[in-house]
Amino acid sequence: MKNVITKQKLMIGFVCLLIGFMVAILFNTNQQPVDRETRDTWEIRSALQEEQKMQQNLYQEIAIAEKMLLEYQEQTEHQQIDSLKESIEALQKEAGLTEIVGNGVVLTIEPLFLDEGYQEFPSLNAELLQLFINDLNAYGANEMAVGNQRIVNITPIRDVNGEVYVNNSSIGSLPVEIRVLTKDTERLINHIEVSEINDYFALENVTISFKEQEKIKLPKYEGTINFKDVQLGDVPEEGES
Amino acid sequence: MLLPALFLIIGLLLGFMTNFTIPDVYSNYLSIAVLAALDTLFGGIRAQLEAKFDQKVFISGFFFNVSLAAFLAFLGVQLGIDLYLAAIFAFGVRLFQNLAIIRRILLDKYYLYKKSKKSNDISTNSTLK
Repeated sequence: MKNVITKQKLMIGFVCLLIGFMVAILFNTNQQPVDRETRDTWEIRSALQEEQKMQQNLYQEIAIAEKMLLEYQEQTEHQQIDSLKESIEALQKEAGLTEIVGNGVVLTIEPLFLDEGYQEFPSLNAELLQLFINDLNAYGANEMAVGNQRIVNITPIRDVNGEVYVNNSSIGSLPVEIRVLTKDTERLINHIEVSEINDYFALENVTISFKEQEKIKLPKYEGTINFKDVQLGDVPEEGES
Repeated sequence: MLLPALFLIIGLLLGFMTNFTIPDVYSNYLSIAVLAALDTLFGGIRAQLEAKFDQKVFISGFFFNVSLAAFLAFLGVQLGIDLYLAAIFAFGVRLFQNLAIIRRILLDKYYLYKKSKKSNDISTNSTLK
């Protein structure tokens, strides 16, 4: 009889062991850290620096806005209207709604013919153009226009029926002229010369040539900017700081 | 009574010491298996308290329930139906039922114990006087 009881107890013990084991595994599995911080000190430091830079920029923007506000408050009505008009002009200029003249580079995207007998006439595609424009922005381009289309913040670049459309109108076939305004033309040109984008263009049998030019005139953005989905951000209550 | 608890602790230790984990995909199966195991365990305790514990029923119930639950979860994944919810529901209800019955039995036993103690006290008191 005693033997039976011990066997029974052993069996229950075995089941308990299994349960404990399963629970422990389940616990282990659920306690795995989800996301581990893998950046080293240097990466964190540079990330921090970037954030600080951004903060600095924001502070500057706030300072400018506050200065403008102060100006408005101190002026008479007539002056207020004038400065409002000024602000509107400045904003329009920034948004690309005005013609603009400045120093920069004129880039021409041309077909590249190799001596390999038969070759199709090369064409541009939207992705490549987008990549190029992003690169130009990264290299310090302030304003640019593709053909006669000014590039603004909301400019769409699409492939439509085998043609590249910028601002919803075709830029035609090659060669295409891109006019870029920049403060530092030399830097921009150097960057383009060593950029990988040349290889990508070469894959499509296209090449870029550029010349520095003063007083380049960029057309204004012809479309209207749709403010349908633009909403006022939440303005937090101003408090003592 | 001590032996199962000891084994439970050994099992827990074993699991934690080996630091063994299973892929997230299978954690569903394991969780439902744990639930089934717990259900069987409490069922066993209840049967013991009701004095109708059968070792064969207990052991077969344990393995059968665990594998059935895992199979149900597997089937649910294959069919795109959350069948494991059904298993969780069933086991959960049974778990609570068993717990309630165990509690009642224990309470009854406690009252009986108290009563007998009281009557013993009275009897001893009366004998003292």
